[in-house]
Amino acid sequence: MKHALHKMNPSLKFLLLTVCMITMAFFFDPWTPLLFCIGILVLQILFSRINWKKWLLFMIPFFVTAFGYFWSTIVFAEDQSGPVIWSFWVLNVTETQLHYALSLSFRILAFSSLSLLFAFTTNPNTFIMSLMQQLKLSPKIAYGVMVGYQFLPVLKDEFIHIQQAHRLRGATPEKNALQRLLGVRRILIPMLAGAVRKAESAAFAMEARGFTGERRTSYFQVITVSKIDGVCAALFLIVLLLSCTNRLWIS
Amino acid sequence: MPNVICFNNVTFSYPDEEQPILKNLSLSIRRGERVVITGPSGCGKTTLLYLCNRLFPDNCDGILTGSLELFGKDSFSYIPGEINHRIATVFQDPDAQFCMQTVEEELAFTLENLHLPREEMEIRIFEVLHLTGLSEFRHAIIQKLSGGQKQRIATACALIMEPEVLLLDEPIAHLDPYTAKKYVEWLDQLQIKRKITIIAIEHRLDLWGDFFERNIQLNKTEDTTPLQKRNTSIQENASFLANSISAKPFLQEVSFTLNRGEITVLAGPNGSGKSTLLKALCQLIPLNGTVQPERLGYVPQSPDFLFLTKSVHEEVAFGGGNDVDKMLTRLKLITIADDHPFAVSHGQKRRVAIAAMLSDGRDVIVMDEPTSGQDAAALSELFQLIDERSRAGTTFLIVTHDMEFAYCIADSILLLNNGRLTGKFPAADVWRNENLQLDHHLLPPKGLMSREACFT
Repeated sequence: MKHALHKMNPSLKFLLLTVCMITMAFFFDPWTPLLFCIGILVLQILFSRINWKKWLLFMIPFFVTAFGYFWSTIVFAEDQSGPVIWSFWVLNVTETQLHYALSLSFRILAFSSLSLLFAFTTNPNTFIMSLMQQLKLSPKIAYGVMVGYQFLPVLKDEFIHIQQAHRLRGATPEKNALQRLLGVRRILIPMLAGAVRKAESAAFAMEARGFTGERRTSYFQVITVSKIDGVCAALFLIVLLLSCTNRLWIS
Repeated sequence: MPNVICFNNVTFSYPDEEQPILKNLSLSIRRGERVVITGPSGCGKTTLLYLCNRLFPDNCDGILTGSLELFGKDSFSYIPGEINHRIATVFQDPDAQFCMQTVEEELAFTLENLHLPREEMEIRIFEVLHLTGLSEFRHAIIQKLSGGQKQRIATACALIMEPEVLLLDEPIAHLDPYTAKKYVEWLDQLQIKRKITIIAIEHRLDLWGDFFERNIQLNKTEDTTPLQKRNTSIQENASFLANSISAKPFLQEVSFTLNRGEITVLAGPNGSGKSTLLKALCQLIPLNGTVQPERLGYVPQSPDFLFLTKSVHEEVAFGGGNDVDKMLTRLKLITIADDHPFAVSHGQKRRVAIAAMLSDGRDVIVMDEPTSGQDAAALSELFQLIDERSRAGTTFLIVTHDMEFAYCIADSILLLNNGRLTGKFPAADVWRNENLQLDHHLLPPKGLMSREACFT
């Protein structure tokens, strides 16, 4: 069970998370997203093995955004009705303001933790395979995405190599930041030209192997929906339900 | 034996070009034949191959006249994908012909295209890996394998379809001589076992021995005199010093010196760190140790990387060199002087890069496989140019798998194995020492063998 979230069917996981996100969008109080966010974290701690240090690193921008929303709502909110609960300098923070600010920032945290759960427990290849098998995604798009994914590290290496080769030819980097940005096109053009050529030969190679883009009759790597998916789905729905009904059980 | 492929008065032209690339071509290939197609670069060999597997004309909107029959039927009567099951192709570029991560997935991708049931896939994957001797690579990640291994896997992917015809586009261009020889022997055995028809494009026929039964010359190649062994132009004083160079990921401490006018060939098996060493010398990657001088001329494996301007002429003139036109003429680039450097053929790009470095007046020039994919005429031109420049005092360090070329041009040879420098040897010593050659995946060049035959 410790790897349940990793083993879960990616398409089902994707659908469940979409349902969760849409549901969350209809709750405007701060407590629902907060509870949901905590619930998601608990699920992740119990049923997945991820690198938490990396997770924290990825969360940093979301924390910053959440705080940004919180602060700007406190300072600039239009609706300033309700009793003042805290005041300092020229600011009077009312209850409504705080309510809105908290709900906005918790919402960001809920959405981002949900997205990271998906990103950290899903293998991109398996996800595409599962989209093709369970959700009937067209093989043309699916294999296109997969080839593109293979090319990413190659493109990164090429960017570095071209930069080095240009430096060797005596193309000195511009001092002005704007000009340097314009200079990047000299690297991007050969890289993109190469990418187009690579894409073409990859397409030729696929076609030469009999790929026509039509639906497959059988798969080598079969992605199934199993019992573990049912259990995981139930857990997600329980967390969703509990956080949505918090008014009933938190007095 | 019945014909499998039959061209009847075929003329083919690309949509944006006036001159047809293939003109009134008639040829037929019988079942079980081993045919090689030769001709200078840009004469339409690859186009011919792409017509055989029906990638063209559909994918380039080219215009085809005349008739092209595959297995006795008009090529247009096949539905898309149908012919590719019977005529399989191995492409030239080992980096851009895979679309999955592991070898097993790649093979399965091909089988899924054939709509085979899953149980049969398992059997076929096992069989083809056994047949090709690649069983140990079943779960390997393709992008991490060497060029030679990738090319064998590409061949396995073609064979798993159990095709009747196998098309090969310069399959050994990126392999070291020993690996190339092994590949040819391996293909020979496969052909005998499977009775497939093999059609290949190739510039370097010497490594194939008597593999091919028939040679189809597409364009009459100009008669080029075979390369002659050059007289050394080595001078007394050193022009390049490399002092205990090491670099990631696996290059161990390397020290050597090169003299003015010396031509050195850097040789070793595929994946032994030759390109890494070159890059370290040019300070393109972080290194420990020192090199002198610091400014080297570098011609990479993909010459595109060097290009900064919009025309071949500007490109060669970029470093402020004089005699640009003379350089363009000598390297057969004058006809494409106004073309964009990205728009010319691969062989021509390498020539543009070499011309740019030479006219830049750099004293020490390192080249990463300048010979691969060059036809005989271009090779002899390259040979003359390097010879001429070295007499003018330029030092060359060249990575090449072409043993004839190395034999004719090298004064000395740097041998690299597994990221470790075996040493710098006078060329003659290496050609005499067969164990040394075998350890570094080299083969004795033909020039040497024919000379020995004369003596006996």
